[in-house]
Amino acid sequence: MTDFFQHIVDGVSLGAIYALIALGYTMVYGVLQLINFAHGDVFMLGSMIGWYASSRWTQEAAHPSWLGALGVTLVSIMACAATGFFIERFGYRPLRASPKLNSLITAIGFSFLLEYGGQVVFGPNPRAFGALPIDPSDQFRLLGVAISYVDVLCIGVSVALMVTLQRIIFHSRMGTAMRAVSWNPSVAALMGVNIDRVISFTFVLGSVLAAVAGILYASAFRKVEPLMGLMPGLKAFVAAVLGGIGNVQGAMLGGLILGLAEQLVSSYVSSSWKDAIAFSILILILLVKPSGLLGKGTAEKV
Amino acid sequence: MAGLFGGSALRRTGRAARSWIPFFVAIPFLVLIEEYVAHNPALGLEYAFQNINHIGIAIILAVSLNLVNGLTGQFSIGHAGFMAVGGYVSATMLMRGPQDDPYRIFFALAVLAGATAAAVMGWIVGKPSLRLRGDYLAIVTLGFGEIIRVVIENTPFFGGAIGLSPIPHRADFAMIWTVAVVTILVAKRLRDSTHGRAFLSVREDEVAAEAMGIDTTGYKVRAFVISAFFAGVAGALSGAFEGNLAPQSFTFVRSFEVVAMVVLGGMGSITGATIAAAVLTILPEYLRAVANLRMVIYSIALILLMLVRPRGLLGTRELWDYLRKKRPPRAPGQREASEFLIDVRKATIRFGGLTAVSEFSLQVKPRELVALIGPNGAGKTTVFNMLTGVYPPSDGAIVVLGRDTRGLSPHAIAHLGVARTFQNIRLFRELSAFDNVRIACHHLTRESMAAAVRHGELSEQEENWIAERAEELLSVMGLSARRDELAKNLPYGEQRRLEIARALATGPQVLLLDEPAAGTNQREKVELMELIRSIRDRFGVAIVLIEHDMKLVMGVSERILVLDYGVTIAEGLPREIQSNPRVIEAYLGEKYAREHAAQIAAAGGPH
Repeated sequence: MTDFFQHIVDGVSLGAIYALIALGYTMVYGVLQLINFAHGDVFMLGSMIGWYASSRWTQEAAHPSWLGALGVTLVSIMACAATGFFIERFGYRPLRASPKLNSLITAIGFSFLLEYGGQVVFGPNPRAFGALPIDPSDQFRLLGVAISYVDVLCIGVSVALMVTLQRIIFHSRMGTAMRAVSWNPSVAALMGVNIDRVISFTFVLGSVLAAVAGILYASAFRKVEPLMGLMPGLKAFVAAVLGGIGNVQGAMLGGLILGLAEQLVSSYVSSSWKDAIAFSILILILLVKPSGLLGKGTAEKV
Repeated sequence: MAGLFGGSALRRTGRAARSWIPFFVAIPFLVLIEEYVAHNPALGLEYAFQNINHIGIAIILAVSLNLVNGLTGQFSIGHAGFMAVGGYVSATMLMRGPQDDPYRIFFALAVLAGATAAAVMGWIVGKPSLRLRGDYLAIVTLGFGEIIRVVIENTPFFGGAIGLSPIPHRADFAMIWTVAVVTILVAKRLRDSTHGRAFLSVREDEVAAEAMGIDTTGYKVRAFVISAFFAGVAGALSGAFEGNLAPQSFTFVRSFEVVAMVVLGGMGSITGATIAAAVLTILPEYLRAVANLRMVIYSIALILLMLVRPRGLLGTRELWDYLRKKRPPRAPGQREASEFLIDVRKATIRFGGLTAVSEFSLQVKPRELVALIGPNGAGKTTVFNMLTGVYPPSDGAIVVLGRDTRGLSPHAIAHLGVARTFQNIRLFRELSAFDNVRIACHHLTRESMAAAVRHGELSEQEENWIAERAEELLSVMGLSARRDELAKNLPYGEQRRLEIARALATGPQVLLLDEPAAGTNQREKVELMELIRSIRDRFGVAIVLIEHDMKLVMGVSERILVLDYGVTIAEGLPREIQSNPRVIEAYLGEKYAREHAAQIAAAGGPH
C-alpha cells in the first residue's frame, strides 16, 4: 500500500510538469485555435539552456547552489520567452489569415528546427544535468511513504505558478484581453484590444511556464538531450485535449490525470508501455467526449 | 450519347482494359532493364539503382499521403506507422512462408496482406478522429505512429528492438516501379473523377461540401484508408528490398520526410509529390558533407515555403495544367419538378437557454417563390440551417419530399433535393468555377471509386455528362467566360451567381437563397430579380429567399413570412405584409407604428 502512495506522489509530480507544459498548448489554442507543435521543443530548450548555462557559461554544475539554480532558471526563462515570441512573430503571425493547415505545417517546421538545430548547437548526445543542489534520491518519510524533495519542489512550484496564472488570466487587464481574444478576436479588436500584443504575451507566458517545466523535468530525471521535448510535449498536448483544449483548469486536471496514469501503468504493467497509454487516452477521449472533460462543445457558425 | 445503355459488358471491359495498355507496355521494359542494366557489373550501376528503387518507394509514400494531406486537406503525420504495419505483416509472412516462390505469387499475396492490414489500421485510426474538424488528426496519427513503434519494439514475434532479418529479397526494380506507376495512375484517376472533386471540396469548405450533397466524413475516411493501404504496400516492398526491418526506421522523422515531400511538391499535385519524392530522396546523397544539417535545412525550407508559397511549389496543379487550353461553352437544357416539397411543422431550435427559432412552420409548394424576411438576428439563416440539417431542430419536424429529415446529415438532405447558397459566400475558393459546379454534381453519379480507377466506359460517360451539365449551368448564370477562373478571383456579384449555379447543379427541388442581393447595386438587383424568376421557370424549382431588400422581395415573391426574435409574426401576400402593423412595428419600432396607425390602416391593412 505504501508502494501505491509512493507511485501516487511520483505521478502527481510528473503530472504537475505535464500540466505546466499543457497550459502553454491550451492558452495558445485558446487565442489562435492553433496547435503550437513547437511548444514541446520550447520545453526542451528550457532544459538545454539550463544545462548550457550551468556547465558551459558558468561552473554552476560543479558547485550547485540554490541561488545558482535560480539564476540558471531565469536564464532559461528568458531564452524560452524570446524563442516563443520569435516563433509567433515571424512564423505564425504572417499566416494568421491563411488556412490553419499552413500554420500547422509551420509549427512542425519550427519543432524540427529546434530539435535538429539543438542537435547541431548542443550536440546530439544526452547530458547529465540536475539544475538543483538536491538529488532525486534525497527523500523524507511521511507516514511510511518515502517522498523525494524533488517531487515536493515540482509540485510546490507548479501549484504556485498555476495559482499565479489563474490570477493573471482572471484578474488582470492582460488576462481579460486574452479571454476576450479567445472569445472572438475581431470583436476584441473593435473594443480596442491590441490583438498582436495579446497573442505575443500568450506565447511568452506559455514559454515561461515551459522553461520552468524544463528545469523541473531535468531536476527529476537528471538527463537532457535535444530530442527530449517530443514525448513530454505530445503528452502535455494529450493532457490539454483531455481536460478540454482552450480551458486552463482543464489543462491542469488533464496533466494530473495523465501523470498518474503513466506512473501507475509503468509501475504495475511495464515501463515500456508508458508511452502508449497517453495516446490510448487521447483516442478514447476523442471517441467519447471530443470537447474534453471540462470543455464545452461548440457548433461551427454557418 | 449513343452508348448510354447500348454498350455491352464486353465492350465496357474492353474500354477499361485499353486504358491500361500503356501500363502493360511499360512492364516488359522495366523487366528488361532489371535483367540487363541494373545487375550488369560492366555498367556499375548497382548503387544508382539502389537509389532509384528508394525513389520508387518514396513516390508510393508521397503520392498516397498526398491523397489525404493534399487533396482532402486533412493532416496526417503518421504515414511511417502504416508503412511499418504493412512491412512487418508481409515480412513475417515471407520469413515463415515457402522459400520457393515461383512467379513471386506468394510475395504478391504477402504485400497485399500487409497493405490490407495497414488499411484496416487506417480505418481504426481514421474513423474516430476524422469525425472531428481541426488538427486532431495530426496528433492522433502522430500518436498512432509512436504506439505502433512501441508495440513492435516490445513484441519478440516482430524481432523487438533489433528488427526482422533476413527477409527474402523479392522486391526488385521492376516490381517497385510497377507499383509506383500503379500508385500514380490510381491517384490520378481518382483525382480526375467525381470522387477526386469530392476530396477537394472537403479540403476547401466542409460545410459547403455537405450542403452540396457530399458525405465529408465518409470521404475523409476513404482517402485515409486508401492512403494507408499504399503506405502498407511501400512498407512491404521496402522490407523485401532491403532484406531487413527495424522499428527505428519508422519513427516520426520518416513520417515527416514524407510530409515534407507532399508539402514541397504542392498540396494536391501528383506530379509535384512525385518530383519532390525523387528530389528529397536523392538530396541527402549530396548533402552528405553536411548530413547533420539535413533536418535543419528541411525544416527551414518548410517554414519559408509556408510563408512564401503556402500551396507548395506546384500548388494544386499538375505540370501539364499549365499547358491546358480553354473549351467553348455549350447551350442550356430543361428539367422538370415533382409535386410535394418542404413541410416544416412547428420546428423549434434552442442554443443553450436561447430559443433562436420557435414553432416555425412553412409549407413550400412546387415552383413557389417564398420570401423569408425579418430584422437582423430574427433567425432567418437559422431556419435555413435547420432545413439543410446543419443544426437539427430541438422540437418539431421537417419533412422534405415526404421524408422526415430528423437524424439526416446535411449531405443526405441535399440528396433529397434541397440546395442552398450562403449569406457569407462559401465557394471552394481555390478551385475553378467549373470545378465548383462539377463537385455539386457528385451525388448524381453512380460510378464507384474502383470504376474511376479502372477508367471504364460508365465513368467516362458520367464525366462527360457532368461536364456538359456544369457548362450549361455556367452559361445560364452568364459565367461561361469564367469557366477556368479560380472562384476567389471572381468579382463579388459573379461569386454570388456561381454559388447559385453550384446549388442548382445538385439537381434540387427547392433552392434556398440566403441574401443573394447583399452587396449588389440597384441595377444588379433588377437583374437578380429577373434571374430568380427565370431560374424558377427554367429549372422548375421552388425558391425560398432570405432578403433585406424590400423592393426585390416585394417584386419577386408570391408569399412572404416575417420572423422576429425567432417567432413568425406574419405570413401572407406581399401586399398584406407591407401594411401589416406588427411587421412595421418589428422593423420600425413600436412608437412609429402607433403614431402612423391611421396612415397604415388607410393604405389597406389586413382584411
